[in-house]
Amino acid sequence: MTALVPYTPTALTRYEMNERVVPPVTDIYETADSFVVKLDLPGATKESIKLQVEPRKLVVQSSITADESMNLLYSEIGRKRYYREFNIGDGINVEGIHASFEDGVLTITLPKTDEMKAREIKIQ
Amino acid sequence: MALIRWNPARELANFPNEIFNLQREINRMFDSFFRGWRDEEETSLAQWSPAVDIAEKDDAYIVKVELPGVEKDDVKVTLESNVLTIRGEKKFEKETKKENYHRIERCYGSFNRSFTLPSTVKSDKIDATYKDGVLTITLPKAEEAKPKQIEVKVK
Repeated sequence: MTALVPYTPTALTRYEMNERVVPPVTDIYETADSFVVKLDLPGATKESIKLQVEPRKLVVQSSITADESMNLLYSEIGRKRYYREFNIGDGINVEGIHASFEDGVLTITLPKTDEMKAREIKIQ
Repeated sequence: MALIRWNPARELANFPNEIFNLQREINRMFDSFFRGWRDEEETSLAQWSPAVDIAEKDDAYIVKVELPGVEKDDVKVTLESNVLTIRGEKKFEKETKKENYHRIERCYGSFNRSFTLPSTVKSDKIDATYKDGVLTITLPKAEEAKPKQIEVKVK
C-alpha cells in the first residue's frame, strides 16, 4: 500500500511512542526489626524487576513490555519504565534485604542491625 | 537513622542529574492534579482513580486498569446501558500502625471509573482478568462492528 497522505503523528501517538521514566509511588514504614518499602509496579513482572543494592543506595527498576500491535484510543498508562532510588543509611543489615512481588506491588524488607533495634534496659 | 530524610538542598548538589528528577516530580504533580480534577466531574464519590488505557483491536476493545495491591474480590466491573464501570476499594493494611509510617504515597480507599462504550459490544461475552496489578477487560465487538472487506465489481 502506498501512503498517499503524509504521516502526521497525533498527540496520542507521540505520547505513546515516547517511553516515560516513572518513579513508582512508595510507602515506607518501620516495624520493630525492619524497614518495609512498598512500591506500586503495575504491569511489571517478577522477572522484569531489577533490584540492586549499591553502597548506601537501593535501586529499583523495571521495564514493561507493551503490546505494540494495540491501537490505543485513550491512554493514561502509555509506554513507561519504572525507576527509583533510595538512600540507605547506617543500621541496615544489607545482607538480609529481601523482596517479594505480588499483585503489582513490590515489598522490600530491610532488616535493622542489632544496634538499631529497640532494647529494653534492665534496671539494676 | 537508617533511612535518610530527603533533603532538597542536597539533591540539588547532584545537579544536573537531579534536575530531571525535579522535572519528573513536577510532571507527576500535574498529572495527579488533573486526574483528580477530571474525575470530580465524572464521579464525585471517587477518592482516587486508577490510570486507564483503552485500545482497539479488530475484534475487541481492550481496557487496561492499573490496580496494584487491590484484592481481586474487591474489584467490581459492571455494564449498565453501555456504561462500563470499574469500582472497588483498596484497603489499608491494618497490621501496621499509622505512626510507624515514614512515607505514604500510594492511594487507598474507594475508586470508581466509568466509560461509555460504543453500542456494538457483545455485552454477554465480556471477560476480565487480573494479573500483576493490572486488570484487563476484553469487550468483544458485535459482528456488525467488525471491519469487513467488500469487493466492488467494476463494470
